[in-house]
Amino acid sequence: MARLTDDTAQWIVLMGFIVSFSLFFLAIILNQSTVVGQTTAEAVSEFPKEDIRGVRDVIIQSMFVDNEATFHNQSNVQNEIRSLSMSRQNAVVNFSDTTDPHGPQHYYYIHYNNGVTAYNETWTFP
Amino acid sequence: MVNSDGQLFTIEGVAAALIMLATVYIVVNSTSVYTHGDTHVNDMQLEVTGNDALRMMNIPENGSVNKSPLTEIVETDDGAAFYTSFNHILNNRTGTKPDTLQFLANVSYVRRDGTVNSTTLLDMSRPLYGGEHAVHISQWIIVDKKFPEADPGKHAALVEVLLWRD
Repeated sequence: MARLTDDTAQWIVLMGFIVSFSLFFLAIILNQSTVVGQTTAEAVSEFPKEDIRGVRDVIIQSMFVDNEATFHNQSNVQNEIRSLSMSRQNAVVNFSDTTDPHGPQHYYYIHYNNGVTAYNETWTFP
Repeated sequence: MVNSDGQLFTIEGVAAALIMLATVYIVVNSTSVYTHGDTHVNDMQLEVTGNDALRMMNIPENGSVNKSPLTEIVETDDGAAFYTSFNHILNNRTGTKPDTLQFLANVSYVRRDGTVNSTTLLDMSRPLYGGEHAVHISQWIIVDKKFPEADPGKHAALVEVLLWRD
């Protein structure tokens, strides 16, 4: 390199640099591509989509369970939903039922939090 | 180093050394990826398939107010019916041979004293040997049933299924 006085030789060296740098960047891209599928699949697996859908469904169902005095079905079911999601799904689930004093609406506040994903919803009925 | 040629050689040497050092630094610092990029893709697909199958079983017959098949199975503790139905939804394929997914099912409920208990709804369809790569799926139900050590009346229960490809 010390004696590159010839123009053509300088061009050859320059092209060598350019080619080696592009190869270097292609190698980096190839290296990164191996982890892409894994991280994506992990992110999808860890997102508790079905847990949230399930607990939301059962909470809404529980709002329509009778609560007559012999069995206290509704309050039993609702307390069991809270403790089951805590112990089996590692999620804090809470919900409450508010009636609009000026209209027929019921507002159901649903909260879900498993430490990574939080979900809040206000479900209105009717 | 009085002549300029020598200085040029020195500079070249220093540059080459720096490049080599940088290369070694990058190589030593890089971490190897021992897992394949598609490691968890299978799990993800298995989870989706299982969730769909179990959800199908938790839907009452079209246009009826009956209980869902899953609720009835849990209320009657009918592990055989669970196996037939779940296996049918999960493993049937359009080809000639069925798929080979294996599963076991538990039902979790809350006892009278507030503790959570799990009972076996369906024992494993094949003995576990420890190398299975199982995924976990679940489905909520409200059953009218007296569980062991629980009061009669309606209760929330969680059907949990472990699912693995054999």
